[in-house]
Amino acid sequence: MAFSMFARSSVCTNRLFFQQAMRLATQPALAQRTAAALSVKSLALKEGKTPILDSVRSFRTSPVRLSDEKSHDHSKLWVIEKAVSAALVPLIPLGLLMPNKLFDSLLAILITAHSFWGLEAIAVDYVRASVVGPLLPKLAIALVYLLSFATLGGLFYIITHDVGICNSIRQLWAVRSQQKA
Amino acid sequence: MPLLRLTSGAFGQLRTFATSPALGKRVKTFAVYRWNPDEPDKKPFTQNYEVDLDDCAPMVLDALLKIKNEIDPTLTFRRSCREGVCGSCAMNIDGVNTLACISHIDQNLSKPSKIYPLPHMYVVKDLVPDLTNFYRQYQSIEPWLQRDKEPVKGKETQLLQDVEDRAKLDGLYECVLCACCSTSCPSYWWNGDKYLGPAVLMQAYRWIIDSRDEATAKRLSKLKDTYSVYRCHTIMNCTRTCPKGLNPGRAIAQIKTLLSGIVKKQAPILDPAGLEKQSAAN
Repeated sequence: MAFSMFARSSVCTNRLFFQQAMRLATQPALAQRTAAALSVKSLALKEGKTPILDSVRSFRTSPVRLSDEKSHDHSKLWVIEKAVSAALVPLIPLGLLMPNKLFDSLLAILITAHSFWGLEAIAVDYVRASVVGPLLPKLAIALVYLLSFATLGGLFYIITHDVGICNSIRQLWAVRSQQKA
Repeated sequence: MPLLRLTSGAFGQLRTFATSPALGKRVKTFAVYRWNPDEPDKKPFTQNYEVDLDDCAPMVLDALLKIKNEIDPTLTFRRSCREGVCGSCAMNIDGVNTLACISHIDQNLSKPSKIYPLPHMYVVKDLVPDLTNFYRQYQSIEPWLQRDKEPVKGKETQLLQDVEDRAKLDGLYECVLCACCSTSCPSYWWNGDKYLGPAVLMQAYRWIIDSRDEATAKRLSKLKDTYSVYRCHTIMNCTRTCPKGLNPGRAIAQIKTLLSGIVKKQAPILDPAGLEKQSAAN
């Protein structure tokens, strides 16, 4: 009963569920299973006994029990994200003061990475499988990747074939001040 | 006796004079969210109740109790301690998640006071939200003291903790799990199934930094995935709304720094197992 309820829920469509199912299915994994996994199993059993209203909602507390897997370690990426944000603070004025190809290339990479993580967070937060179905979230993430690669390509085109990012910005400012004058 | 009655009447009138300006009654309208699971076809609606503030104690919970006792017994809400230590009466009052028992009734009579259940939660009935997911998440962080060596029954010894180490728990242990912060967090609205939310994360942090707890590494490794902690975008609605004045946003930031490995949990100042070792040595 509990399993059929579990299988019917949207969890079964994602990778996490597959891993959990594989883990439950393979016997050796039983030995490695943590206390958390056990408690969750007993939770799932209890779920079967709760009134229908509750089991239909089928709340997931999956990330916690599955987080011991390596691929989901986000802590290193968090450090990189913060380091990139911090590096941009001195690099942007420095690049504008001394426009050269090295600073421009660094800026292009860091700005693209920074905006990629921001856009990715927006896609993950607002385009959720539970709201828009299983396909759109993947499309949204793909769009973020596409946009980021296009941005990076475009910025490097400006660096290699044109005056460079910081010089372009300085030119823009120059146009403005000429119009005012 | 008649004299007594006369005087009490006089005092009553005096009280009326003292509290009601010229026009008499100070009637406040409360617009309360209503939904009845027994009438599933009926959409949720807000129902207006009028309460004379001169005849009502000062807190929103008092007004709700007055409505339930005197106007509409079908109005449903949770309440218990009526002094802000149980966290039962968490609800959205005039757009802010707070405890009804410790928030004063807005004295502006021209505007109705809007009372809704905690936002973005399943509603059981009227102002009662379904906190099943919230409690399961709390359960998932294993909110109890964990030692490598569990004490033998009958031979338990007191664990030692320095005053300074104990002080680290201030501002964390006071949480009453009312869910005001979690339900004010947009990240929790969008990913409440996978993101643990500020209240649960603050309790996770409370056990992570407890000098007596030895499961720190395990606790942290459980949180390092993309969703559990890192859906926090430091919006800080949690800290802003907390009726107990706590700072879950700071606790989450501390978890992030601990996860990054840049900051390490300090070794306990007093060996927690000091007494046990001493008795073993004797």
